[in-house]
Amino acid sequence: MKKVIAREKLPELWAHLAAQGPLYLPIQDGPVVLFQPWAEGAEVNLDAVNSAVSPKDIFLPREETFMHYRTSGRQLEMTPVEANEPVTAFGVHPCDLKAIELLDRVFLDQDPPDALYQNRRDKTTVVALSCREADPFCFCSDFGVDPADAPGADVMAYLTDSSLLLEARTEKGKALLEQSGDFLADASKESFSGKEVTTADFNLQLEGLAENLKERFDDPVWDQLYKSCLGCGVCTYVCPTCYCFDVEDFGHEAEGERFRCWDSCMYGHFTEMAGGHNPRPERKERVRQRFLHKLQYYPEIHNEIACVGCGRCLRSCPVNLDIVQAIKALGGETVEQC
Amino acid sequence: MAEHNLEQVDKIREAVKQDLLGGRIDLLLGWEKGHYWWQSRPLFARCEEDLDKLAWDSFCAVNLSRYLLEELKEHGKVGLLVKGCDARAFNRLLQDNMVPRDRVVLYGLPCPGMLDYDRLTEEAGRALLSITEQNGQIVLITAEGETTADRDQMLLDKCRDCLYPDPVVYDQMLLSPQGDKEAPERFKKVEELEALSAQERFVYWEKELSRCLRCYACRQACPFCSCRECFVEQENPRWQGRAYQPSENFMFHLIRAYHGAGRCIDCGECERSCPVDIPLQELNRKLIKDINELYGDYEAGLDAELDPPLLTYRPDDPAAFSEK
Repeated sequence: MKKVIAREKLPELWAHLAAQGPLYLPIQDGPVVLFQPWAEGAEVNLDAVNSAVSPKDIFLPREETFMHYRTSGRQLEMTPVEANEPVTAFGVHPCDLKAIELLDRVFLDQDPPDALYQNRRDKTTVVALSCREADPFCFCSDFGVDPADAPGADVMAYLTDSSLLLEARTEKGKALLEQSGDFLADASKESFSGKEVTTADFNLQLEGLAENLKERFDDPVWDQLYKSCLGCGVCTYVCPTCYCFDVEDFGHEAEGERFRCWDSCMYGHFTEMAGGHNPRPERKERVRQRFLHKLQYYPEIHNEIACVGCGRCLRSCPVNLDIVQAIKALGGETVEQC
Repeated sequence: MAEHNLEQVDKIREAVKQDLLGGRIDLLLGWEKGHYWWQSRPLFARCEEDLDKLAWDSFCAVNLSRYLLEELKEHGKVGLLVKGCDARAFNRLLQDNMVPRDRVVLYGLPCPGMLDYDRLTEEAGRALLSITEQNGQIVLITAEGETTADRDQMLLDKCRDCLYPDPVVYDQMLLSPQGDKEAPERFKKVEELEALSAQERFVYWEKELSRCLRCYACRQACPFCSCRECFVEQENPRWQGRAYQPSENFMFHLIRAYHGAGRCIDCGECERSCPVDIPLQELNRKLIKDINELYGDYEAGLDAELDPPLLTYRPDDPAAFSEK
């Protein structure tokens, strides 16, 4: 099923979709673009290359309340909270959707699957957006991502200067386009294809890297690589494939809510144990953990590197300690023979 | 990068090489190029080959002073390249008794102000291939041709209102000083916010802080945030929760700002490090302005001998020590 809508008509489509449930779009929030639920007056920016923070927030919210509690005397009352409305994730670029598929393996390919994640994943229809251009930080092609096409999309969208072309790829996607029929024109005779986009080329040699790293836990390279790390959590929070979380309460003894929220392996408290022992006491151990998780541990289980080349760590790390630097330092760089 | 800096890089390298090879310092903290021409990242140089990577250009924004806290655990004497703000950051750490003066050799680099890549690309309007610099002008080179822009207009926010581009403390000045600067607009944004009602200000900050990811990059990059244990991580009592609620956002940012009252050197590393561009300098500058108005002009980090107003008591302080 193929449909088309003029750009100036998009706000009507947004209003229609948002009336059914949360509609996440790349929205200009002050100086940055973030995936946020659309509301009247929101400044949607479909032309943005990459949002400052990845849209993983839609499936693994930075904060998700799953239970309310109330106490009265010795009575404890707990009420589960479940997101029930259908969600539309609109404008997710191919790298970010690929990252969500990597998260699926973590949260869904286990018994039992993670209920909170599964609920959101099931209720969400993903409209992926083909990239028209890359910014200098994009290097998704190194990870087999096609910036023009996202195979896992429910609807694949292509932006032109004047319109947005929509192609349903799944039943969910078809349903979305059908129920938005009033706003869309038929485009079944047109052929849709994405633009060819060239991304940064860092000469990365990823073949065999995970295997090679198995023997490198005590490699002296770690003694140098971590040095510039400030120990903040920017990389983990902007990263589309970082998924660690924590569970906390907000409220007080009589009443409150229990939520899960993002956590970061770059923080000292992440591995601190009740007795005070910390198996990752310093930045060195934490930096090693994060990079090995992406480049060795995840591939060992799922046969794929847990990086999609979105370039957010290259853009946002305050000291430019990013995954490309790590891969290169670990020997994953094609060295030209003299 | 700008060709004229190569001469400066040679000069810097020669000076520090002697000290590193001669054993006056065991490590030099400087900058090297990252993947891109617009990124210069920290360099930890231990030998001559490391020094080959040394860079000094218009993108050396990272304040290196903070690395002393860790590197002095490992190295006897550390050499540090300091711009104006880095030097004031060093004084800050010195005043907090976080670094011993005699184990650090400071090499002064008067700073022309660092450039903002986002601003450069916005000005170029298309993919920027490179830039050159000449006489206060920047030539922006794209596939379609060249345009020029005023260098001052292309600076990082943190550099725009810099008063002291020359290092105020150093053992050796390596380049010619620039002289102090004027910053008539330093408190402009603060004054605009002061003119709002309390309710309007609340709405403004609630919105700006709503983007906060609690990644703590602002804190980690900050030279006044040198506490060995931050209130954020204290477990008992637990001051800072993790919920992304306005109350928790305000808790973190206001407590952090207050901890910097009279101690913030206005280097702007917090704002530069923020991945979601929260205007943190406005908070810090409000406190700088208040301190100046309450206790007389004071610039943190300018003179290590001069204690911050809130760390001293004078009988003529404007507020009584205790209310009677």
